[in-house]
Amino acid sequence: MNLPPDSPRGTPVIDVQFDRPGRRYDAAAPLAVRCHVDGVDPDAVRAIELSVAWYTEGKGEEDLAVHAFERIVERDALRAALSDHAYETRLPPSPLTYEGVIVKIRWCVRVRIFFIGGRDYVSEHEFEMGRVPPARPPVIPEAAP
Amino acid sequence: MTTVRSPSMRPNPFATRHTRPGRVMPRDGTGRPLDVASLASRIRAPDAAAIEGPHGAGKSNLLAAIAGRLADAGALADTVRARARHDGSVVATAIVRARPGTILCVDGWESLGAVRAAVLRWMARRRGVGLIVTTHRPAGMPTLARCTTTAALLGRIVADLPDHGGLVTNADVEHAYAAHGGNLREALYDLYDRFERRARRC
Repeated sequence: MNLPPDSPRGTPVIDVQFDRPGRRYDAAAPLAVRCHVDGVDPDAVRAIELSVAWYTEGKGEEDLAVHAFERIVERDALRAALSDHAYETRLPPSPLTYEGVIVKIRWCVRVRIFFIGGRDYVSEHEFEMGRVPPARPPVIPEAAP
Repeated sequence: MTTVRSPSMRPNPFATRHTRPGRVMPRDGTGRPLDVASLASRIRAPDAAAIEGPHGAGKSNLLAAIAGRLADAGALADTVRARARHDGSVVATAIVRARPGTILCVDGWESLGAVRAAVLRWMARRRGVGLIVTTHRPAGMPTLARCTTTAALLGRIVADLPDHGGLVTNADVEHAYAAHGGNLREALYDLYDRFERRARRC
């Protein structure tokens, strides 16, 4: 078990490697990731969930949808998944990643580790789907200051 | 939770994702952290208590934090949000479903109206369910906490948010606070807009 020196004791370090440079994907393209978890005792883990999801980020209410989901609970599979886990899915045609002003759409691979005793830890790893240019807000003079 | 951003994305630290109730550490008007555990332990079913304060003063945030503590202790019945009088039925259903001895958290109690609120409180007492509510005005129950705001508190909240890369200054924080009459929710939306404008110019 390796724990990076800048990581608080007991905090998992989750590394997700994407198969495309810059983590950029086309709509409806295949996505493949490899996931590696450091800094946890495998015997203290109850389950690992890996999901591919999109969510909105902005000023108002948030929205979220899970596109693909996998839950690992079997002990040997858990131990193997902590060391190195490969996951593949085909992305849907929409919604595309969007860098709006009031609302943004983000795609991510979310890894959630459930520990025995109830505690859990979530790590999100964003990627882009599609090539929608960022919104350009109207030029409004700023109020002071 | 940690988030690893895509290289070309610039997160806005003032987005709801980071500022919604339950995400911000509850603090008093001066910016000092509130003792949420102590507040949560003061209410025993079927008592009722209110978190009072004006719009955007942090009532919902404090309620979410207390609800989290109650949930950890197995004492939370549910958390419901009332937006209008007809949401009285939602609160009534939650009371009926609640296990006696647990506490129901209701956000927006004043929106139910005085008559419905009185009936719901009676129902909760009858069923042995405690209530913690948020309200803008006195609700005829003991006050658990009174939320107030200052520019210093807003500054402390901003300091707790993800890094804004220097795109928002202390003067921005003070101006946003004053421009929205101490409403922290609106002030944070204002800072969201300032950040967006400046980030896109960079």
